[in-house]
Amino acid sequence: MSAPRLIDDLSLMVAGQGGDGSLTLANLVGDLFGRRGFHLYQARNVASRIKGGHAAAYLRASVTRRGCLGDRFDLLVGFDHEAIEEGGPLLADDAHVIFDVSEGPLPDGILPGAANVLEVPFGRLAVRDLRRDLFKNSLTFGVIGRLLGIADPELEEVLRRNLTRLAGPLIEANVQALRRGLEYADGAGITTGAGPWQLDVGTSEDRLLISGNEAAAFGFLAAGGRFFAGYPITPASEILEWLTRRLPEFGGVAVQAEDELSALNLALGAAMTGTRAMTATSGPGIALMQEGISHAGSAEIPVVIVDCQRAGPSTGMPTKPEQGDIGMLVSGSTGDFPRIVLAAGGPADAFELTVLATNLAAQFQGPVYLALDQVVSQDAATVDRFDLDAVQIERGKLLVEGELAGLDEYRRYLMTDDGISPWAVPGTVGGQSLITGNERDEWGRVSTKPANRVLMIDKRARKLETLTALLPEGQRWGDPAAVIGVLGFGMQTGVMREAGERLGVQGMVVKGLQVRTLWPVPSDTLAFIESCERVYVIEHNASAQYRRVLAGAGAPNAKLRSVLRYDGLPFRPTELAARIVDQEGAGG
Amino acid sequence: MTTISLNPQTYRPAYPIWCAGCGHYGVQSALQAALRRIGIPDHEVMILAGIGCSGTIQNNLGTYGYHAQHGRVLPAATGVALSNPALTVVAAGGDGDGYAIGVGHLVHAFRRGTSFAYIVMNNETYGLTKGQHSPTRAVDFPSHVEAPLDAIALGLSIGTTSFVARGYSGWFDQLVELTVQALSHTRAKQGFAFLEVISPCVTYQDSYPRWEHALYDVDADPSYDSTDRAAAFELSTRLQTEGRLPAGLIYRAAPTPILNTSDPVQSEIDPSNLIDRYHEIMDGYAVRTDRA
Repeated sequence: MSAPRLIDDLSLMVAGQGGDGSLTLANLVGDLFGRRGFHLYQARNVASRIKGGHAAAYLRASVTRRGCLGDRFDLLVGFDHEAIEEGGPLLADDAHVIFDVSEGPLPDGILPGAANVLEVPFGRLAVRDLRRDLFKNSLTFGVIGRLLGIADPELEEVLRRNLTRLAGPLIEANVQALRRGLEYADGAGITTGAGPWQLDVGTSEDRLLISGNEAAAFGFLAAGGRFFAGYPITPASEILEWLTRRLPEFGGVAVQAEDELSALNLALGAAMTGTRAMTATSGPGIALMQEGISHAGSAEIPVVIVDCQRAGPSTGMPTKPEQGDIGMLVSGSTGDFPRIVLAAGGPADAFELTVLATNLAAQFQGPVYLALDQVVSQDAATVDRFDLDAVQIERGKLLVEGELAGLDEYRRYLMTDDGISPWAVPGTVGGQSLITGNERDEWGRVSTKPANRVLMIDKRARKLETLTALLPEGQRWGDPAAVIGVLGFGMQTGVMREAGERLGVQGMVVKGLQVRTLWPVPSDTLAFIESCERVYVIEHNASAQYRRVLAGAGAPNAKLRSVLRYDGLPFRPTELAARIVDQEGAGG
Repeated sequence: MTTISLNPQTYRPAYPIWCAGCGHYGVQSALQAALRRIGIPDHEVMILAGIGCSGTIQNNLGTYGYHAQHGRVLPAATGVALSNPALTVVAAGGDGDGYAIGVGHLVHAFRRGTSFAYIVMNNETYGLTKGQHSPTRAVDFPSHVEAPLDAIALGLSIGTTSFVARGYSGWFDQLVELTVQALSHTRAKQGFAFLEVISPCVTYQDSYPRWEHALYDVDADPSYDSTDRAAAFELSTRLQTEGRLPAGLIYRAAPTPILNTSDPVQSEIDPSNLIDRYHEIMDGYAVRTDRA
């Protein structure tokens, strides 16, 4: 056997029937890499059902930080035939495959010719003696550990510390299963150190492994958010669950609403009292909330709305990613009102931008969207620890009692140069006011007078101009002198950057921009486009929704090229690079 | 005596937009009288109203006022009440707003039992859009029947319901009394207080002559036990078959200890005072780098 290959970037896929525990195994392997200082990226692919259906867990472990899955899987654990059918075409040529032959032989003609297959009779080794399917994971973990060249005691230690929540006898049964796996590996000639791989060592920094949804929920809490209402929906429910658990510990309230109409209006009610409030949902919920969002824009009520986008239209593909709500976020609902749309490209961004969105909503007194997508929401990645010391609470023009007492009069919708009116919450002596979505005068009294109407529309629009300087710029990378630009946001963030590296290797120099403020289109986005001869706008939708927004905001349309995908699968770096190369070849 | 106010001048309450003879005048006067009788300062009251003729009542009283989206007054009021329990929160609206477009929320307001009062001005019509039938009016069409909804009976069917009453804008003294009781119930954090008021629309559905005789006043019946939910339901359904409805304090649950002590608007949000607890949460996501 040849010397083990040094591994600095490895991708693993574990697949089987939902309930097989694919995620558990991916987490165990992740722990082996995490303790060696590798960066981790974890994703899931599930059917929209509780148990059963095909389910897969993905893990990428790399010495360099990567914000996406790799091009090919180096290791596939297949607990059923479908796993081979789904995973086979995604494998590296020299991939290793662990396959459960209990239910039948390996399907022919799917795996790469050079793949190394270990046919493990799980039924005989684990299920019969240990009675529980669950133990397949611990058994497989032993086999994987040997492939990675990890010593047996460490495997057992890692297994034990990941199972501390189980009862003692169950832990011992799992350890037995692990040993069964090691015995199998011995029989297959894969003794410690004789496996194909040897792990490199990463940089041991203090890192978090967290998903975008968890990071967004945490960001809201840290920003002083104390009221959340949401209705369960994939892929946003983790935010509801996280805040339902945490907010009461901090004196806050989380409500599971009867529908999204209620969720948003619960948040608006809380927001009117001065409590920082948020709701989170996906496209169908955002659609239901449209009337309320224009109401928040008109009545000038601060609220954060998180959209964890999934593939539409209608119910679409609930567990698959898309960036198909951009048009709705930027221009949905009735009438003209200012709104802000931010987009996070990963967990670190999700934390930072939720803090910012919560502050902006207070300063803006209106609706602030945070656009995520299924990939950003639910994939977990290692990130640097969040800078909690940097979190500041901005309350905007909130009037407290003392400040009110100094005024001769208080007009809720006072005309101001910056468009923002000082704001007193119910309970404040002397701040009595009328809040309404009807057009109104400065006092909040309903008015349809033409001159007042124009003044009020313009006042609200001015708020956006006032706050422009506070909106987050995009993240740039690559050679500033490059004439080819790559622009995207959300789920494109990591893959775009890695595709840029691939293009560089092929001799195509590009620079990139991850947009973080989708609306209003910030000047740094327009400047980036201006500095390029042509810009590839990467989007997961069929109609180039964000490219149209850019063109509408003044970006020269002739410079913009769309790279679109809408099959529910995220780009892999090489695929994206190839799409750009193809379009360049076709005349750019 | 002259008092000098240090408070700023705020909006001047509006004059009602309602037709002469509209039942809503009685509802507004009763609410004003009740707030005065309990002695609640204007700045501690928030009146949220829906869309429709009744959805202008919040403009007329000098308190904090909010004009909700059509049908969404209950979630908004729930949000206010949960966020700042020190406020006296009154949701108000019509039967179209509350029983048609917003009825989904009504069921959950009963179920959730958040402490605020909801006053529905039931006039059996959509007055502002000129007289269409509302969910409380029986109408026979060639294609189908629109049966009237009895929201009191609906409320009684939900186990957590703690206060249901029906007033009549023509019986002012009782209406003040019922409003006082509803506000007191919520201020004592005893839950959601539901007060339906038969408040006829003199322009499109003048039902004064009918309701004057069709309402059965339980407050005038010494044998009526307003703590007996089953009896209240039985009375409601029996009267309904006769084209009548009960009025008065129909059901009020026995007082219960206050369990909910959340007060978000008063909660600490300064990160410098919470940083240790935030770090603790973050530590839960730390990648373990300790090696065997």
